[in-house]
Amino acid sequence: MLSEARVEAIEWSFDALYKKNNIPPWFLELLHTYGKERRLIGHGIFFSLFSGRWSAEQEQWLRHLRQVATLYNFDHVTEHFGFMTGKDFHSGAPLSIPYTNSTLALGRDRLARIQDACGLPVGLENLAFSYTADDVKRHGDFLEQLVSPVNGFIILDLHNLYCQLHNFSLPFDDIVRLYPLQRVREIHISGGSWEPAKTSPGKKVRRDTHDNGVPAEVFELLKTAIDICPNLKYVVLEQLGSGLKTGISRQQFYKDFLQMQEIVAAKNSNADHLPYNTFLPAKLLLSHPLADEQLYTQQMELSNILETAACYEEALHALCTSSLANTAWEVERWEPYMLETAMNIAQKWKKKD
Amino acid sequence: MELSKALLGAILLGIAVQTTSCKKDKNLPTPANPNGTPVQVEENHDPCPACGLG
Repeated sequence: MLSEARVEAIEWSFDALYKKNNIPPWFLELLHTYGKERRLIGHGIFFSLFSGRWSAEQEQWLRHLRQVATLYNFDHVTEHFGFMTGKDFHSGAPLSIPYTNSTLALGRDRLARIQDACGLPVGLENLAFSYTADDVKRHGDFLEQLVSPVNGFIILDLHNLYCQLHNFSLPFDDIVRLYPLQRVREIHISGGSWEPAKTSPGKKVRRDTHDNGVPAEVFELLKTAIDICPNLKYVVLEQLGSGLKTGISRQQFYKDFLQMQEIVAAKNSNADHLPYNTFLPAKLLLSHPLADEQLYTQQMELSNILETAACYEEALHALCTSSLANTAWEVERWEPYMLETAMNIAQKWKKKD
Repeated sequence: MELSKALLGAILLGIAVQTTSCKKDKNLPTPANPNGTPVQVEENHDPCPACGLG
């Protein structure tokens, strides 16, 4: 795809190379080449935006971002919504948090620090995972409240949305209107996998595992979404390297890229406007990092339960007798199959000792 | 976006073992190791969590 000059921009997860001692020179040259044309975008993974406690690792993450943003010419920088379940900084997976005034303030504080470090437009990606249908319905509004103080933007990950629609039997038209569509600057598409739910026989949970081709339904969502996102600038196809080991999977990835490119080209030829929001904020004032010790304690307790529970019943019992019981987490309302999925995700990405 | 032949050649050299999906241009520099030793490609055995955390 690169040799055919098909790739118009690349997204780099700048915090994902922590295990690499030697970065190949060609890779750095590739970053510089796209950066010089302002076609390089940064996508963080490990900042853990909603961790209740401010950590030394987050300080280091911001220092690293400041460095790479100086070295490479990003057009914008994004992170994931949620907090990392792992006990240390580079393990676990991002899971949701309760939508409260405290978590809103925490998220705004962290987002402002990311913007301060990179000096660029900053954005957040919608989650693929929720515990209840009500969480799905409230997610868009909470994202809007989070990013508005930094005039930030949203990555609308359509496969994430596809997961939510399927897992909670919700219609796309109803849910997508609950997102701040004027703040969508980037769209992601990808594939995923189905996982049978032991707690709900016959039900399959859709997971955003990025190890398969893009479903036809997601391409249809892309066609619709482009028309309703007036500030859209990037469409990104995501795929795990581990899902590209066979010739068939590589051909499918290539085919998916071509299909995405055709859709975007057709929409571009009919576009009658350019994005009007720069997503740059007015001057931000930073004070001491916010912290919420109670939230931190609850997160650690939740992570431990998800990572160690042997079965759904054990996890449910532990949650209902934990500090999360009868709080804004509303663990009593979590769908059994989504708690089971949260356990699967946390245990998949738990750091091996 | 057009990339230089030199950069494309360097990428091919770097990922020659894994890449098959790109259509190779006959005019590209042939991947070659300057001292004749086998190319060392560093493998990442950890599934990349950059995406697909779901």
